Amino acid sequence: MTPPDRPPLDRRRFCQAASAAAGLGGWSLLGGAGLFGGAGLALSGCGPAAAEKGFGRLEAVWGRRGIVEGRMSKPRAIAIDPQDQLYIVDFTARILVFDDQGNFLRSWQTPESTNGRPTGLTFDASRNELLVADTHYYRVLFYTPAGELLTDRTVGGVNGKGPGEFGFVTDAVRDSTGCLYVSEYGDNDRVQKFSPDGEYLLGWGSHGSEPGQFRRPQNLVIDPQDRIWVCDACNHRLQLFDPQGELIGLWGTEGSDEGQLYYPYDMALDPDGNFYVCEYGNHRLQKFSPAGVPLGVWGGQGREPGQLWDPWALVRDSRGRLHVLDTGNHRVQRIAV
Amino acid sequence: MLDSSLAFDSRWWLAALLLLPVLWGLSFGGLSGLGRGRRLAALVLRSLVFTAIVLALAEAQYTRTSDRLTVIYLLDQSASIPEAQREAMKSFVNASVRSHRRSEAGDRAGVIVFGRDATVELPPVDFTYEMPRIEAAIDRQQTNLAAAMQQAMSLFPPDSAKRIVIVSDGNENVGDGLREARVATASGVSIDVVPIPLPPRADTVVDKIAIPAGVRRGQPFEARVVIDHRTAAGDDTDGRGVLRIIRKRGDLQEIISESSVSLRPGKNAFGVRETIDQADFYTYEARFTPENPDTDASNQNNAATAYTHVRGKGHALVIEDWEHPDEFTRLVETLKDEGLDVTLRGSDRLFGSLADLQRYDTVILANTPRASGFGDTPGGVVSTDSISGFSDEQIAMLVRNTEELGCGLIMIGGDRSFGAGGWDETALEKALPVDLEIKAAKVTPVGALGMIMHASEIARGNYWQKRIAIEAIDALGPRDYAGLLTWNGSDQWLWGQSQGGMITVGPSRNQMKARLDRLTVGDMPQFDPAMNLAAQSFAGLNNPTPATKHLIIISDGDPSPPSARTMKSFISQGVKITTVAVGAHGPPGHATMQQIANQTGGKYYVVRNANALPRIYQREARRVSRPLVKELRPPIPPQMMLQHEIMQGIDPNLPAISGFVQTTVKDSSLVEVILRSPEPPNPESSTILATWNYGLGKVAAFTTDAGARWANDWTGWDGYAPFFSQMVRWSMRPTGDTGNFTLATEVEDGRARVILDALDKNEEFLELPAISGVAVQADGDRPLSFSQVAPGRYVAEFEADQAGSYILMVNPGPGQPMIRSGLSVGYSDEFRDRETNRPLLESIASLPAGNGEPGKVLSDEAGVEFDSAAAAEQVAAVDSYRRDLPPAVSRQPIWPLLVLGASVLFLADVFVRRVQIGFDWVARLWQAIRQRLGGGERPAAEPVTMQRLRSRKAALRDEQTGRQGATRFETPDEPLPASESPLAAATATPGAPRPKPRQSDDLSGVEKPIEEAYTSRLLKAKRKASQDRNEPPA
Repeated sequence: MTPPDRPPLDRRRFCQAASAAAGLGGWSLLGGAGLFGGAGLALSGCGPAAAEKGFGRLEAVWGRRGIVEGRMSKPRAIAIDPQDQLYIVDFTARILVFDDQGNFLRSWQTPESTNGRPTGLTFDASRNELLVADTHYYRVLFYTPAGELLTDRTVGGVNGKGPGEFGFVTDAVRDSTGCLYVSEYGDNDRVQKFSPDGEYLLGWGSHGSEPGQFRRPQNLVIDPQDRIWVCDACNHRLQLFDPQGELIGLWGTEGSDEGQLYYPYDMALDPDGNFYVCEYGNHRLQKFSPAGVPLGVWGGQGREPGQLWDPWALVRDSRGRLHVLDTGNHRVQRIAV
Repeated sequence: MLDSSLAFDSRWWLAALLLLPVLWGLSFGGLSGLGRGRRLAALVLRSLVFTAIVLALAEAQYTRTSDRLTVIYLLDQSASIPEAQREAMKSFVNASVRSHRRSEAGDRAGVIVFGRDATVELPPVDFTYEMPRIEAAIDRQQTNLAAAMQQAMSLFPPDSAKRIVIVSDGNENVGDGLREARVATASGVSIDVVPIPLPPRADTVVDKIAIPAGVRRGQPFEARVVIDHRTAAGDDTDGRGVLRIIRKRGDLQEIISESSVSLRPGKNAFGVRETIDQADFYTYEARFTPENPDTDASNQNNAATAYTHVRGKGHALVIEDWEHPDEFTRLVETLKDEGLDVTLRGSDRLFGSLADLQRYDTVILANTPRASGFGDTPGGVVSTDSISGFSDEQIAMLVRNTEELGCGLIMIGGDRSFGAGGWDETALEKALPVDLEIKAAKVTPVGALGMIMHASEIARGNYWQKRIAIEAIDALGPRDYAGLLTWNGSDQWLWGQSQGGMITVGPSRNQMKARLDRLTVGDMPQFDPAMNLAAQSFAGLNNPTPATKHLIIISDGDPSPPSARTMKSFISQGVKITTVAVGAHGPPGHATMQQIANQTGGKYYVVRNANALPRIYQREARRVSRPLVKELRPPIPPQMMLQHEIMQGIDPNLPAISGFVQTTVKDSSLVEVILRSPEPPNPESSTILATWNYGLGKVAAFTTDAGARWANDWTGWDGYAPFFSQMVRWSMRPTGDTGNFTLATEVEDGRARVILDALDKNEEFLELPAISGVAVQADGDRPLSFSQVAPGRYVAEFEADQAGSYILMVNPGPGQPMIRSGLSVGYSDEFRDRETNRPLLESIASLPAGNGEPGKVLSDEAGVEFDSAAAAEQVAAVDSYRRDLPPAVSRQPIWPLLVLGASVLFLADVFVRRVQIGFDWVARLWQAIRQRLGGGERPAAEPVTMQRLRSRKAALRDEQTGRQGATRFETPDEPLPASESPLAAATATPGAPRPKPRQSDDLSGVEKPIEEAYTSRLLKAKRKASQDRNEPPA
């Protein structure tokens, strides 16, 4: 899975390459291990005034800590449906549904939660169902939007390293052809691909920091070209794969400066190809152009509105607004971009 | 509805108001210079000041009469009332409040529930609150009506009429409800009652089991059981069932008699013959099980107990490590051969209460660690389920048993005892004649302990992490290193960040604990960075270099595993990593943590019970603290340092020993060091046998073992049996002939009385100024506080609220042996009464509230019995909020307000007299308004000269301001006198002589500073001096 060797790029060439790739509908880059492994490359220098602080305006802050209806405790994953209803799973293993204004609609509980709680949610609009990465039970659960568990659809449930077996499942997404991709970590960090019928097709990745390897792939995002973006959290980078699991590019360097990443846990794409990254370790969101040029930072560690504490997840709604799951503050913040 | 008025406590002060005309007369002349208006104002103010002071002196009070009524419902929730009726009380209160409380009058309703104690279920509130259920938890074993009434009296607000509604069966067994009701009604509180009818039902009551006093070993006696079979009136059917008599000693129970019996209505007596062969404390229980449970109204009263103590030759409890059984078989056999009763127990089956220990005269901890179950191999998996040992409470019981109750305590050594067994920093260390650390050692190896804490998904995770870290810090020595890593946005050391994170504990122990107190741990995404930091820190420790390096990771196994490079760094440094999996998320979490431990030779703990966590940390922290076991190669015989009762008749040439646990002799004159090892030469840390008296008990510390490993030569030695048996006998609880003391007991109203008559040999009364004692029971113990009530007679009382046996330990004072006796408390009276006490409740209701009406029996008024929820609603139809009580009057003293008012008015008086306020501007303002509205006359046009002068004045001001702004000169402090102003002429009255115009140089004086500023002069002088220096010499 290692990409073909290329001579190391200097910063200028990287920026050119990234920009050129952007013209093709999103960034893509293949680089040698030396470039991405240890040396690191900060993108903050690309484009003179490309990055301006604060790309969005805080519109609303809602959510209250608690375990009764409508309150949440350490919410760790969020998904959104075409009607802009938000699905949130919290530390009590409840899946809470809210409208985009934060009004509580309904909730239900996953079947088991003694071992641990789910940490990944995705709404599959094509089939109108909610995919729940039931992390500590090594499986993906499927629910109707009303909260009915589709038991015959559950994928996984067996702990292991074989095909169709899982470690800690972090996220599950579907591409336009209906194929399912599931990410996992533990000591066998990888992504597995299943056919629309749930049949194992292929898997790629392992635990490590080489290109194509992962350390805690926390979230997956499918772009309009059916490419798979992986938030490779503990390697502080994003990796991009084609549907066959071939590495298209990887990008990101550990740090807290603008353009750098520190535990990227989730991301969202907009129609222009810009992407927003939610950084658990930096307690912030960053916006990047399709070429990976930083376009601004939002947040910072704190308890005030506009600040974040250990944010885990992020979604973009139909009106282009971002909803960030401010886990440590037990709330959701809505940002108009 | 409120009426307000003023009242006075000292009315005669009001007569002073007659002096007001005198005040007016005196002031009128004095204020004549003020003009009419101000004089009048001053007079009025002065009069008000005087009046306010007089009212304050008369202790004026603001009184309000209110039509408000507060009703507090007292609900009897004791066990004598059937469940259904207890439930119905809630419906009664809800219905009564709903139908009768008058919101417009501000009526309040409150609820108190009571049994043995009274608790507020609902404080008096002025809105209707429907109780969904009764939530207050009370002790239902007794009924205390008086306490409930007292509680109600303290809850009534002062501004309303008061009524209590008692819902009860009237069977009080603590306190005096009628007396309390008299007190309440005398202060104007009305009391209504609702008697709860108890259904007539047959009931079988085991009245008592009687055992003759002074039972002796081997002497047959008869235990007699009295059973009362109560039947409803007119029913004379026999009751049938099984009667069992059970004998209990320690945790041993045996049924000595079991037979079917037939009970005639009324009292029935049964007897069983019994002989006691072994000295101990015995409890006999008689229990009746009815054939048909429906014929028995209450099963709580189906058992009775009695207690007896048969004295013997002395009983020792030997506690051994359950992981290493049979190490002390030889010792136990030897002691038994020497005529002692010995009970051997593993440390996994320890005593549960202080009462359990009263059977023994001495307790021997034989090479027992504080906690066991960690396994012998260095690596491997340990589940907390296997860890057991002494809790802090059990250690405290052991110490109290010795200190206060005179029992002996012996710790026998071995590699798992004393400091090596984790007994340091415990209450037991205080009781031993030696300290468990080696304080004298000059050069000791140093350890380093790193901790990584990851927020675990267990309940109270943060609490446990704090607690265990504190335990670990406590277990470390002053020269050991400690560091703690957590995730808080990034991986951070909790202290010593600039020094690499691991610092010596000694000077910082308290600060470390303070930091830990504020610790909050976040959700660590991966282990690697934190472990990397720890590895670097371990590598940097070189002053001194630690001999042991240990890392403990507590986590749920969720973070991403560490890299091979990081693990290699730990392995190459010889750092052992112990992983503690708390609420681990199944196999992947387990696997990561187990691998970390396995690769470095550390232990992997699976924590299923968080209570075991402190033990793990203590043990792991002890791994880094220095070793305390001293092996002697070749073996050396201990030296006898002094003659002692234990060594009587024993050859002082003792066999050699090959090891012992090092300790430090306590710095106390009470400590007697009997045996000492010649190695190490330091006398403080080479103790083999030391004794002292701790409180009332005797304690011995024997730091080598009893023949399993170090004292192998002793097992064949003649002195083995006498040495150990004399040690045990010396330590035993002193028990003497208690012939001179007579201990009697009685139980009434849930309180037990212990009466001691003390006579000396000549039948003279004894003075016992230091008498003390304790009553111990399985659920705890109660101190006995004796007071002398007559010559030679001492009485103590304690709450005997739990049925069962109490062991009484009385220490008459120094030089007197401990008196041990027992007391059996039967089931509560709550289960004895089967009829409603209507007379009591009716007497309470008949008491008139102050001078008003007596209360009502509400169920009689409604004409129904309170036996169901439906009946409760009917009883609630009787108005508890009826207005037959005098209205409540509340008073509030207002003299502080009056004094404050007088002070303010006095100031106003002074102001009016001293300050004159011109009101000319009012006229001018009025004129201006009229002009603007067009109704007024225009002022005459200003003369031209006047306009010119004004514009000149403005020009001059602008010029001056401009210059000042440009040069930033300081203006002179004092303004020019008005007469010197160039514009003075313009404003002067016509005809007055014009002032001489200023010369131009005078005007320029305004621009120049009149005097150079001090700093400017200094600067000038400085410049001049530097010029002088720079100029070359001529």
